[in-house]
Amino acid sequence: MKRSLLTLMRCDATQGAMRRMKILLAAPVVLGSAGCVQVSAPEKPIEINLNINIRQEVVVRLQQDVRDLIKENPGVF
Amino acid sequence: MSRRTRLILAAGVALAVVAGGSGVASAMIQDASAQLRASGQVGEQADGYLGLVGSAPAAVRAQVDAVNIKRRAYYTDLAAKRGAKIEEVAATTACELFRTKVAPGQYYRLPDGVWRQRDAAPIPLPAYCG
Repeated sequence: MKRSLLTLMRCDATQGAMRRMKILLAAPVVLGSAGCVQVSAPEKPIEINLNINIRQEVVVRLQQDVRDLIKENPGVF
Repeated sequence: MSRRTRLILAAGVALAVVAGGSGVASAMIQDASAQLRASGQVGEQADGYLGLVGSAPAAVRAQVDAVNIKRRAYYTDLAAKRGAKIEEVAATTACELFRTKVAPGQYYRLPDGVWRQRDAAPIPLPAYCG
């Protein structure tokens, strides 16, 4: 009696593990497909909002900093 | 040759390889945006970022993205330093790039969203550029 109970318990544990295994196996599939959606390049170029809302005085204030930034990073600008 | 000498030699060779490699990489990065503009597939936009003029190969798109990510980081940094918006720094930079970096024959995009090719004359700048 004691032995069969143990066997039963072991079986239960195995089934539990199997269930966990399935979940574990399913997880990468879900994660993988989510990753694919993020990585896949869009067919059309990304729409960029070109509505510039800026005052001239702001441009004048930032101009020298921006000139320095461009000069210091020739590869990026 | 002692074991120690060999070790030092190996380290030296490894260092030279690494230094040489980074030299090539920085040379490639040095004029990445200039090369992209010169390719005719990429142009400067009024929002301060590079854009694809038409449908470009994935390699070009990847390079544009890489440059734009760096630009965004610089804009963010400068904006924080000067208490300005990122978009303001970016737009100001675009004004400057239109003035100094877009050569005749290269492409640019003003706030109207239309890609144009620069001719011999300077780019007609938006009023806010000053």
